[in-house]
Amino acid sequence: MRRFMIVSLLILSVLLISKTLTVIGPWAGAEEEKFLPVLKAFEEKTGIKVEYRIYRAEDLANLLPAQFNAKKTPGDVIFMWGWFILDQAKKGHVMEVSDIINEEDYLPGVLNAVKLNGKLYGAAYTGKVKPGFWYRKSFFEKYNLKVPNTWEEFVALLEKIKNIPGIKAPIASGDGVGWPLSDVTEHFIITFAGPNVHKDLIEGNIKWESHTVRYAFEKLVSLLKKGYFGEPTEWTMALKQWWNGDYGLYFMGSWITGMVDDPDDLGVFALPGAKGVVFGADYAFIPKYTKYPEEAKKLLAFLCGAEGQKYQVQQGGHIATNKLVPLDAYPPVDREVAKIIVKMEALTDLDDSVGGAFQTAFWDQLKLLWVRPDRLDDVLKVLDEKMK
Amino acid sequence: MAPALALIVIFVIYPSLRTIFMSFLDENGRLSLKNYVEVLKSRDTFDPEGFSRGFPLGTLLHNLIWIAIHLPLTISLGLILAVILRKVKGGNILKSIIFLGMVMPMIVGGVMVRFMFDGSVGVVNGVLRIFGIEGRTWTAYPDTALLSLIFGSVWLWTGFSMVLYSAGLETIPRDFYEAAAIDGATPLKIFFKITIPLLKPVTVVVTIMTLLWELKIFDIVYVATMGGPGGASNVLALQMYTYAFRELNYGKASVVAVILTASTLLASIPLTKSAGELR
Repeated sequence: MRRFMIVSLLILSVLLISKTLTVIGPWAGAEEEKFLPVLKAFEEKTGIKVEYRIYRAEDLANLLPAQFNAKKTPGDVIFMWGWFILDQAKKGHVMEVSDIINEEDYLPGVLNAVKLNGKLYGAAYTGKVKPGFWYRKSFFEKYNLKVPNTWEEFVALLEKIKNIPGIKAPIASGDGVGWPLSDVTEHFIITFAGPNVHKDLIEGNIKWESHTVRYAFEKLVSLLKKGYFGEPTEWTMALKQWWNGDYGLYFMGSWITGMVDDPDDLGVFALPGAKGVVFGADYAFIPKYTKYPEEAKKLLAFLCGAEGQKYQVQQGGHIATNKLVPLDAYPPVDREVAKIIVKMEALTDLDDSVGGAFQTAFWDQLKLLWVRPDRLDDVLKVLDEKMK
Repeated sequence: MAPALALIVIFVIYPSLRTIFMSFLDENGRLSLKNYVEVLKSRDTFDPEGFSRGFPLGTLLHNLIWIAIHLPLTISLGLILAVILRKVKGGNILKSIIFLGMVMPMIVGGVMVRFMFDGSVGVVNGVLRIFGIEGRTWTAYPDTALLSLIFGSVWLWTGFSMVLYSAGLETIPRDFYEAAAIDGATPLKIFFKITIPLLKPVTVVVTIMTLLWELKIFDIVYVATMGGPGGASNVLALQMYTYAFRELNYGKASVVAVILTASTLLASIPLTKSAGELR
């Protein structure tokens, strides 16, 4: 009996002493499988247990404000939009992490999204680049297609693809809540209005109805009117259809390399003349109400440091924000994408940066533009209204 | 009685009063009508340009369109199915199959509606192709998005009215039908002169429940179109959600909540009264 009591007490004390951190992130399925090894590496290194929970950012936006107001948190380290982290930091719900994150180790400007009055309230994990239009090398070889170097060549390429029998449209349009359409639109804005206009739109320094922005949209609308873009289709379904040859091109982020059967068959090109590329970093933060602040800081520093990011990029589909991650850590196809960032200006995602009601409106208005390109005036007017 | 009253006060009366109070608070915490002015003037709520340009017309009108189409369709279809399946062999099995739409979570229903109207894999276009008509993704276009959702929700909700009418039919004494048949009444005349008048209490209940459901419709729209494209299928409940959880503007969200509650009361009080008189 006495021995039983001692054993029970030991088990109980171990259970009480062992700390389990909860990480909340958006990755499920194949993406989750690539993230779990990073957490495992942290567990092995520190002996701290980590539990991973999946929540979409859209759902967290509903859940977290109420939890934080009640001084509670469902996770110790949470991956979330940059604008949301800053919004919660302003309300005093986020822990400052300037002491564990060395800004110089990161790509220039990548931490701006989580910086407030010179202090860091979150850190950048790996990210995804939205480099341009993806194509299958085998598809291009089969139909003797070439990567365009000018806008005219790009339009000629689309016309050529359109005339291939059995093709639904030259470019697949991914839908869902609408973000895939916003990615391709941002690429047009960066190419035809320039990276500075892209930044000005985020800051609210320029109107959507301005001549410069309209010019970029008109380029996009000209393609929409000619039927070069397919009907908006759920983006994973569109991915399969594109891979099966229903479409010739697909504008998507670098995560596509981890979603296709043969990544070696992938090729990518940006719109001719593009001087910038959207780099969407995944941001993580520590809520003020975590029970284990020191352990959570250790985890955040590991994840966003070179070691954690190296584990992640090795899995494919991710690009490091930490400059100390060596290029040879990447699989070959991702290495090519990583090199693109060096040649172009890395820009933050427009709608992710603005966030709030604008983001939903932006996605929704683009869905309208895709099927009714003649309503460009209405779309730009609404976007200006929602930016206020 | 007292515990029940306490629960009602805590979970119904206090939140309702608090919501009304919040609807009058501006961003500085002062009492004003600013939120009401902003919401009622917003093109999200009512967009008169839509009459010349096409959808969106604003959430208020979208909800009214929903009611105008969905209510008569679900009630009449439910009644017809209940009458027809009453005398059909295996009718109960068919009724159970039709009722499945109602048992299903509406979030799942929304996903199914979305795929039903899809251009490539949708069953609606599959049927159209049999007749040589080339379809499209109906939920992707502003002129058909709202209608697609309404027709999709008719499929999901008809089971409810059918089950209630089936139960109501069982309460009508057979003598009435036998006497009418002896007097030489046609089946159509029996339907209009006996079945429909005697089912009036059930019709009132079905109407109230359907109306309330239509006013608070959210999940199907959220999943299938998110109110798009361009707000063409947006509804009041989704507008409230967007204000609260996207704009983080709880004052404006409370205004929409108050409008929804007022509409619900306006619609249900007369119907409930008429149900009381019937009793």
